[in-house]
Amino acid sequence: MLIALIATIHIFTSLYAVGGGIVLAGEVSHAYKINNKSLLDYLRSHTFFFILLTVVFGAITGVGIWWIIGLSSPLATESLIHIFVFGWAMEYVFFVLEISSAFIFFYYWGKLDPHTHKIIGWIYAVSAYMSLVIITGITAFQLDIGTWTPDKGMWVAFFNPQTLPQIVARSGASLLMASLYIYLHAAFKLKNDSNLRSLVETRTATWSMVGAALVTIGGAWWYINLPASSKAALAGASALNVLTALVFAASAVVFFMLYFGPHKNPGWINPGFAILYFAIGIAATSTGEFIREGVRKPFIIYNYVVGNNVLTSEIPKLQATGYLNGGVWTKAFVRSHYPQVMGLDGNIDGAKLLQLPETDQLAVGKILFQYHCNDCHSEKGFSGVSEYTRGWSESMINTVVTHLDKAHYFMPPWCGTREEAILLTKFLESISLNSPSGMIFSGETIRSKSDITQMKGGGIGK
Amino acid sequence: MNPQDLIAPSSPLGNPAPFWFITFFKVLGFILHMIPMNIWYAGMLIVAVFGTFGKNHAEELSHRLSRSMPIIVAMGVNLGIVPLLFTQVSYYQFYYPAGVLIGWPWLSVIFLLVFAYYGVYVYSLNVRNNRKTKFAVASAWVSSILFIIIGFLFANNFSLMVNVNEWTRIFERTNAAGAVTGQALNISDPTLFPRWLMMFGIAMMTTAVYIVFDAFYFRKDSTSSGYKAWAIRFAFGIFTFAAIWFAVTGSWYIFGALDEFTLTRVGNSPSVIVLFIFTALSPGAPWLAMLLMFMRVKSNLLPSKSLVATAALAQFVVITLNAISRQWVQNTELSRFRDITTETVNTQWSPMIIFLLLFVAGLGVVGWMISKVMAIDKAAVSSRG
Repeated sequence: MLIALIATIHIFTSLYAVGGGIVLAGEVSHAYKINNKSLLDYLRSHTFFFILLTVVFGAITGVGIWWIIGLSSPLATESLIHIFVFGWAMEYVFFVLEISSAFIFFYYWGKLDPHTHKIIGWIYAVSAYMSLVIITGITAFQLDIGTWTPDKGMWVAFFNPQTLPQIVARSGASLLMASLYIYLHAAFKLKNDSNLRSLVETRTATWSMVGAALVTIGGAWWYINLPASSKAALAGASALNVLTALVFAASAVVFFMLYFGPHKNPGWINPGFAILYFAIGIAATSTGEFIREGVRKPFIIYNYVVGNNVLTSEIPKLQATGYLNGGVWTKAFVRSHYPQVMGLDGNIDGAKLLQLPETDQLAVGKILFQYHCNDCHSEKGFSGVSEYTRGWSESMINTVVTHLDKAHYFMPPWCGTREEAILLTKFLESISLNSPSGMIFSGETIRSKSDITQMKGGGIGK
Repeated sequence: MNPQDLIAPSSPLGNPAPFWFITFFKVLGFILHMIPMNIWYAGMLIVAVFGTFGKNHAEELSHRLSRSMPIIVAMGVNLGIVPLLFTQVSYYQFYYPAGVLIGWPWLSVIFLLVFAYYGVYVYSLNVRNNRKTKFAVASAWVSSILFIIIGFLFANNFSLMVNVNEWTRIFERTNAAGAVTGQALNISDPTLFPRWLMMFGIAMMTTAVYIVFDAFYFRKDSTSSGYKAWAIRFAFGIFTFAAIWFAVTGSWYIFGALDEFTLTRVGNSPSVIVLFIFTALSPGAPWLAMLLMFMRVKSNLLPSKSLVATAALAQFVVITLNAISRQWVQNTELSRFRDITTETVNTQWSPMIIFLLLFVAGLGVVGWMISKVMAIDKAAVSSRG
């Protein structure tokens, strides 16, 4: 949740940082060309707004993404860092150029000669765009690693099937987002100057129409290049169906509003219209990002790291020797708190786990839940397993646990032993909720999950 | 619980560059980050104090610092990405667990930084518009305090990173069913407070040098001699105080907080002893330069700009030696648990070469932009003079 929150907030400003840079460089060049001082003055005031938002908020929330992914998915993060360290280092060079050129562009406005000022504006635009290209390649790799294998270098990872479509889509989104920020800013700033406002809106409409076209092309290309698992996730999850429809609907609304609004009738954009427009744009962008992340399940890095921070290559070993044995923290904790389950070889003995008192078995089951499931699921609340297992019998839970990827192809496979699955099952059964009361099938009222357990002849491990 | 058991296995991917390369850029990035970070760390406190109580030159100093502070913070945050990136390459087995163990305070850095940075802007914009509202002054104070808290949180994470023994204690104390809750701080670590306070001492020194550098290189008008003389007197006082602070906290850190293992390693290595002696004595060089400036001012004369530049260069050496010494200590402390220098290396040659080429080209472009700006400033001075 926190990753989504910080990443979504960041994307609103980072797209603006890229698209806004391109639009500002282009519009300043145009304003110099037609020698329009009032347009230049407006662009200067917008640049200040732009710097306040992108250099401060955009930059820090960008660092914030590193913070939060490092905290919640250390394995995936260090894997990405090891694969793309020089990509990030290159991005850092562009980032230095961005910051330096942005400040010089603004603080030396009117002091630099127009030619140099334009060049510095374009240095910003190109640097910001290169940042987008590099970061998109890295996030696209998470969705589809293409032909990359651990023995191949960064370029194979970077030029994966998703990189180009996402660059096109995000380029468009950045121009579109920049336009919405400009409409919002101009609607307030130029409230009393309808001529200048119309000029700004008409000019910006061209950028936004290009942006809308690129989003459409990139979005379609993105879908065509999606791995089969992502297409299946998109087709199979009703929530994603609805959200995808929402994105298309919001994009269509934005497109028509662009055409009939600033493009055809520039005077239409008043503060209320601009806020509405901006809100729809934000909704479409955040929904698009949510879908982009959602279809990656069950992977953090496609076919390399699964959602519960396990390398795919390690899964068979964990299934043979135990999930608790495979994690340094889980193993240390069990060794410290349940020394009686340690075997002579220094590893946790699965059979001994089942000899623990019932309360300890539940406690170990909870450890398994915390590490195996808790990256995506809570016990109760958001994505809570107590709700998902409502009314399930112990044997039903165990069947799902041991066949996670078969029951839901967007979940990772069970990464532990049969004994560990029993302990996790016991814990899940202990927190699962009863079926809703009052539901009647065939004249019989289902009262509680214990009824089902009894009907099915008892639970597992009994 | 054996602390060794908590260290994750090596990445199957191996390091993308030799250890020395990663360390070089980590240290270089840290040095470059330290310069602006030092200025906001101690400088914002000066902005707040003189913004509230300062008159005449003191108030002018507050205004001058606050006007450049938004750029200083942006550059500092930006330059901080480099050491953070390379830390995650070679030190991931230590950096991530430390961060996770103090997860919530560590994550709060981002939110605190956003507020601190906007506070800087609020005060700076007020000053630019020749206003000083109570809200703006309060923002300067809040920013200053938040920066100091952020420094404390960084000291927490980076001291915990090398103190694996403490991981087990925090884990035992704060876990929920074996999972880390991230609600702890590493406050029982003996190195934490001297480490944090020592950095504040260096920050005060750097800020003092910057105040003089700013007065001589960035203040252009011909009526500035009074301010320049005042800046030297004030900066000399601050630097002297900071140098004593640095000596005290540095001694506390080395002789009172570092463990025996690390101290023995120091004792066994003549080159490290020399490095430590130079690091300890290095503030003497900028202090001497500041003293010479101070004596010139006492004789009603202003020092040359080259003397000011010498002080700045000497402070750069102080920062560099500190960064190198810190790196040595970090590597040595970690060697108790894992020899990270022997990780498998799968060098990514072509990305590395392209990065280096871009790095040089980027420096060239930044240099070109600065030359354009300097030409404008020079022309402005000529036209006034």
